[in-house]
Amino acid sequence: MIKLTRRQALLTGVATAATTASMPFAASAQDGGFISVIVNDPANPYWFTEGEVAKATAEELGYSATVSAHRGDTNVESNLVDAAITNNAVAIILDPANADGSVGVVRKATDAGIPVFLVNAEINESGIAIGQLVSNNAQGAALGAIAWQEIVGEEAKFVEFYGNPADNNAATRSNGYNTVLSQYPGLEKVAEEVANWDRTQGYNKMQSIMQATPEFDAVISGNDEMALGAIAAMKEAGRLDGVTVGGFDGSPDAVEAIKAGEMAYTVLQPVAVFSREAVIQADHYIKNGSAMVSEEKQLFDCLLITPDNVGNYTAAFTLSG
Amino acid sequence: MTDETSKMTDTPNASQAKPKGAFDIGHLILEGRAFFALIAIIAVFSFLSPNYATVSNFLIMMNQSAIFGLLAVGMVLVILNGGIDLSVGSVLGLAGVFAGFLMQGVELQWAGVILYPPVWAVVVLTIGLGAFVGYVNGVLIAIFKVPAFVATLGSLYVARGVALLMTNGLTFNNLDGSPELGNTGFNWLGFNRLAGVPIGVWILITVATLAGLLLTRTAFGRWLYASGGNARAADLSGVPVKRVQITVYMLSGMCAAIAGLVLSSQLTSAGPNAGFTYELTAIAAVVVGGASLMGGRGTVRGTLLGTFVIVFLSAGLVITGVSFYWQTVFTGAVIVLAVMLNSIQYGGLGKRS
Repeated sequence: MIKLTRRQALLTGVATAATTASMPFAASAQDGGFISVIVNDPANPYWFTEGEVAKATAEELGYSATVSAHRGDTNVESNLVDAAITNNAVAIILDPANADGSVGVVRKATDAGIPVFLVNAEINESGIAIGQLVSNNAQGAALGAIAWQEIVGEEAKFVEFYGNPADNNAATRSNGYNTVLSQYPGLEKVAEEVANWDRTQGYNKMQSIMQATPEFDAVISGNDEMALGAIAAMKEAGRLDGVTVGGFDGSPDAVEAIKAGEMAYTVLQPVAVFSREAVIQADHYIKNGSAMVSEEKQLFDCLLITPDNVGNYTAAFTLSG
Repeated sequence: MTDETSKMTDTPNASQAKPKGAFDIGHLILEGRAFFALIAIIAVFSFLSPNYATVSNFLIMMNQSAIFGLLAVGMVLVILNGGIDLSVGSVLGLAGVFAGFLMQGVELQWAGVILYPPVWAVVVLTIGLGAFVGYVNGVLIAIFKVPAFVATLGSLYVARGVALLMTNGLTFNNLDGSPELGNTGFNWLGFNRLAGVPIGVWILITVATLAGLLLTRTAFGRWLYASGGNARAADLSGVPVKRVQITVYMLSGMCAAIAGLVLSSQLTSAGPNAGFTYELTAIAAVVVGGASLMGGRGTVRGTLLGTFVIVFLSAGLVITGVSFYWQTVFTGAVIVLAVMLNSIQYGGLGKRS
């Protein structure tokens, strides 16, 4: 029995120690108050950057901040917003889990008197959040497609990878690509596959495509992960030479692939820019009680990363100079 | 100390909740461990954050517990029976989507009308759907002898797939109904309060009380403990083992459907991905609450305490700003510790009696 209680005491001790160890930054609340940053899933470098940049900006402006993650679950998101309300947050920076499903939690926070700034994704209702700061996906897709066409030329057989159909961005990007590419009758799409933004699915789908379609000379993908999966499959089959691959997102892995000459370009989503901007706007709202930018929906233009400017990629999702 | 020993020493004892009387301090700590853990969690977080031990935060945490608590109460019935129900998270999602679908109006092509069922009918039909999924699980397991793990794993995929099919991957957002159609009031479930306590909590209290009475005061409850402890012995002594088995899966499905209704009402939206991996949280709550995964041991009270431990812990970690990586580590550690104590209790102490 003694052994047993000792075990319990040990665990409680460990739990307490670890809790207090990770506490200081929350406890040492700076004067400005507390800003809650809620992102999707920090296991993905994109969302990790989003959260870290927002937190760093908040601390720079004299607030205390924590980053938490809902992983796409609207119930978890709701619980995190509850915790922010309990902690008397002065603002919430939220990457919404679901365009429709997150409307309720944004309203809940707003009703509790906390201004909400949405980043990266929109909700299908305006007038609740103070700001919705997102990448300009249509502009980014057009930018990518034009760069892609310049490399590929006017005659080519190509494959398109399409993201998760439930995500509006998949359609926006695909429409952007096809608007540009349909102006060139010599460009023939020989296959289009849904790979749900996922690298493994991009890999598997590309293997199937290579079985069915012996000839193609270019790939355009809705995001980097699917493009990297396709590259891995083509590399394995020894067919990557002479195939132009274009991605979207500007992830560190894609940048490595550009440096290695496997990927032709990627379109950088300015996540570091808009998550910083969201905190700055929140700061303005807290101090003045009015929105810094009158328009709620704000689009941030994407940038192109090619072998020419890949050296300027100084940190994840950041292109300097 | 292992599951094997606990199985060997397992007796088809129908009334496991009661036997005590050992004045052993260790035994007492073991019996009440979920309770002591809860007290410890509340004490630690109250110390760390001034915002934790407030009435409003307790109400919020109770409300968050309602979802997992409902799933866990259904799950403990199944686990007492020696089974497992992996489909509850998906059934929760499917129930929310089905309720959302009914709220949008059901078009009857052949009659050329659109039916807008009132909210009570939506609730009844949705719970019926949960019962139906549970019935299918129960029949597969009891009649066709498909292992519970496999049968409910199958329904996990099927229910999730049907939810995605019904919505095409999108989310129902308009659950308010309209006064002309007489189907308003769905949000009452998630938003209103009775005597200052959210409706979701009242629903959990009601369901848990009913389940507790079912287990302790009815013949069905004794059958359930008996067939969970030793199905063959129970069968030979005249317990309708198959009927009990099918019924527990139906009850679990109904609990999951109620949880789905409460959740979609709280979030004012019904998405097909709601409840993803919640079956694991429900199983964790049951295990932390002291039930044995081998069946025959466990109580509703313990399960509720287990749920509170998990929810109060994760809410506390969020409020004190502990990083999300640590949150996952702590939750995992609590679950493992609970199972470890279970093995000690059912193995080590079992030998004594």
